Amino acid sequence: MILMATEDVLSIRDWVRVATDFISENTIGMSRHWEYTDSVSYFLMEFIMCVMVFGGIMTTLLVLLWMERKLLGRFMDRRGARTSLRSLWVGENGVTAGEWWNQLPFGTGVPVGMLNKFLNEVAGNDHELEVVSRVKNRSYHGVWWLLPGFFQNLADGMKFLTKEHMVPEKADRYVFEIAPFLIIATTVMCFTFIPLSPNFYSNDSEMSILFLMAVFSVAPLGVFFAGWSSNNKYTLLGGIRSAAQLTAYEIPLLVTVLSVVVLSGSFNLIEVIEFQADSGVWNIFLLPLGGVLFLVVMVAEVERIPFDMPEAEAELVEGWWTEYGGMRWGLMFASEYLRTYAACLLFAHFFLGGWEAPLEDTIPYIHYVPHILWVFLKAWFMFIFFVWFRAALHRVRTDQILEFGWRWLLPLSLVNLAMATALRLWVYDGINGEWPLLIPILITSISLALFILLSVDEDPEALEAQTRPFSVQTVDVASPGQHRE
Amino acid sequence: MAEMWISMGPQHPMTHGLWTLKVKVDGETVVDTEPDLGYIHRGVEKICEARDFTQITPYADRLCYASANTWSHAYIYAAEDLLEVEVPERAEYIRMVAVELQRVASHLMWLGAYCPDVGNLTGMVWCLREREMMMDLLQELGGSRMHYNFPRIGGVKRDLPIGFALRCRAKLKLFLERIQEYEAILDESTIFLVRTQGVGYAKAEEMINHGVSGPNVRAAGHNYDVRWAHPYSIYDELDWEPSVERPSIKGSDCYDRYRVRVEEMRQSALMILDGLDKMPGGADTHYQSGDPAILGKAPARAAEGQTGFHHFEDSRGESMFYLAGGGDGRGKHPYRVSIRSPMFITIPYASKCMIGYKIADIPAIMGSFDPCIGETDR
Repeated sequence: MILMATEDVLSIRDWVRVATDFISENTIGMSRHWEYTDSVSYFLMEFIMCVMVFGGIMTTLLVLLWMERKLLGRFMDRRGARTSLRSLWVGENGVTAGEWWNQLPFGTGVPVGMLNKFLNEVAGNDHELEVVSRVKNRSYHGVWWLLPGFFQNLADGMKFLTKEHMVPEKADRYVFEIAPFLIIATTVMCFTFIPLSPNFYSNDSEMSILFLMAVFSVAPLGVFFAGWSSNNKYTLLGGIRSAAQLTAYEIPLLVTVLSVVVLSGSFNLIEVIEFQADSGVWNIFLLPLGGVLFLVVMVAEVERIPFDMPEAEAELVEGWWTEYGGMRWGLMFASEYLRTYAACLLFAHFFLGGWEAPLEDTIPYIHYVPHILWVFLKAWFMFIFFVWFRAALHRVRTDQILEFGWRWLLPLSLVNLAMATALRLWVYDGINGEWPLLIPILITSISLALFILLSVDEDPEALEAQTRPFSVQTVDVASPGQHRE
Repeated sequence: MAEMWISMGPQHPMTHGLWTLKVKVDGETVVDTEPDLGYIHRGVEKICEARDFTQITPYADRLCYASANTWSHAYIYAAEDLLEVEVPERAEYIRMVAVELQRVASHLMWLGAYCPDVGNLTGMVWCLREREMMMDLLQELGGSRMHYNFPRIGGVKRDLPIGFALRCRAKLKLFLERIQEYEAILDESTIFLVRTQGVGYAKAEEMINHGVSGPNVRAAGHNYDVRWAHPYSIYDELDWEPSVERPSIKGSDCYDRYRVRVEEMRQSALMILDGLDKMPGGADTHYQSGDPAILGKAPARAAEGQTGFHHFEDSRGESMFYLAGGGDGRGKHPYRVSIRSPMFITIPYASKCMIGYKIADIPAIMGSFDPCIGETDR
């Protein structure tokens, strides 16, 4: 059997359909309301799929949290990515974290040991003397301790559940209570429209992208409610910052998504993915600028470093959710990560071809890998960028965020939209339904060259003259006493 | 939006200690500030009047938790001036090693706290990682991790431990390499530059008028380092020069204050390496505690009318100790102890510095002045 690009080995939706058909035929179908059999079966299937998608998302969300802990630990640990490799296996100065590979059964660890020896020779830094051979202080227990760490967040959730729910005395009680529900409900609602595989989705709507964006942008309202109703100055500032920032970044987001829609010719997310699979080119190779814009805007939308101004812990303590506690806080925290997850999944769907395996036409038998695996792998891969940004970047100031959004992202997203329109109108071969392969290759190589050129941002003249290329002056001169009346 | 007062503190991530900064904001802009200090006033000066001269050293240690050695040494030099003690040269070198190690550790603590102030946690983890090396070295010297009680009137508690010079050189060499990592994550990050450059201007003249000293005033281009201007100990025998920034016409910004401290860490590390080479008797020899080579003879009493004074380049500025002898009737205790804390003077100035900037700049500006509340409240 040869599978098409959009067919899946795990045809879960079909299986559920068969099961619900069977159930409804044997229950409703036997009764005198037999004419409702199909409707009941459909309703049951939709319901079960909704629950399954929700469960799948919530379970794999733990992977995100686990990844963030592990990656941040590695980035911050010694020397970034290079040593993250080393702190796992190599050790320093020949001292390793215990030769656990020798304990693996059937000699399966021998290649690991050899790899370790090789890495130790290549990347181990024995010239740094004994002072840094402190990796042995790190408690790495081998792979068997991976799973307990994985379920850490379940334990956290249990803790949140047992905490008392408190509302500040002078808070606006009703709004204060409504805000978390608004945030959490709309966040979870996003996943109704995000398919996990061609056969694992809860809704196949013609306008799914439009509805998705609409639902995605309700949460800022809840954030503003939460910030204002808490009756706390920090939360108020955080809520206002959040509202300003999310409004400013909503427009580039929509325009960028619109460019994908224009390119693929559909508002249906599943059709967008199928278009990428059928036309043979992922959107990231056609709209690299759009991919970058979408990533940046999404980092701002989910309020992570460098755009985590609304909860800037250095000056606003915890921003708009300072006053929340217990499971309401826990769920809002989860919704933050769910939004991140949605962003990663959307990036995978919009730009990385969704569930299409890489080089699906070239590599034999790759069709038989379940499609859902590719979706998750691509989303988790995108999450690495989110963690990387958090480890490497600093927090941008409010006015700088807004300035960046309005003055750079919005024009760039319009340029991107124009590019998408031009590509679709004049380059796309509508008769064969394919892209001429030269175009994505050209676009990708030009973008890579531009990226490399632009990342060399050192200004030799500024270095020479010791001027400040990034100097931003907010007020003319701030001096003690001058501003006092 | 209407103006409102926000009370940042006494427990707030910005404060780096226990104090309150009342901020009047108009939207996101800071209109007025008012520092409120004194939460951890312990009355150290008064306590010292009932202690003899050896017992005061631990109290001086506890003036600043991030930089204990510099404070105990500031006291020791003043006490030696009061009691007219001759200090062996080797002891002076050992003291220099201890003080400069402490300075590096203190600046690392500052940088480690400043990175989260502008939103990056990686820098903090990296700085504290290197600070551990300095803490290990100081622990070898003084026996504990934070409050060492290391100097004695007339010398030091004990000589450099056996193998200390080897470990110290290795760690400092490694540290000098790793400073480049901080510069890689901070100087080459556009966001860090955007956050710190052009923010929190402070002019040299105004700072001098307010009495601000140390790295903060050197960042504004004023070359005043007590170790350089009035060399006290053996600082004139070492090969070093103070780190001074060249600021813009508007004064020094947060970036200048960051640069000057990073340079100072480098200078201190080089100074220690140089001092280990020049140490009389060699850095590898080890004298027993109490040996005249590391501990001179000191009287226990100071008569009435005798005064001792020393100004000392602390990690945060110019600290001064003033001791008047003749307390307790027989001169066993000081009659009066007066401490000049650099941060007590800097914090009010820094609070005024942030007027006109955004709320998000408050931690960036306040953090760049390196506040330490232990010494401020004394």
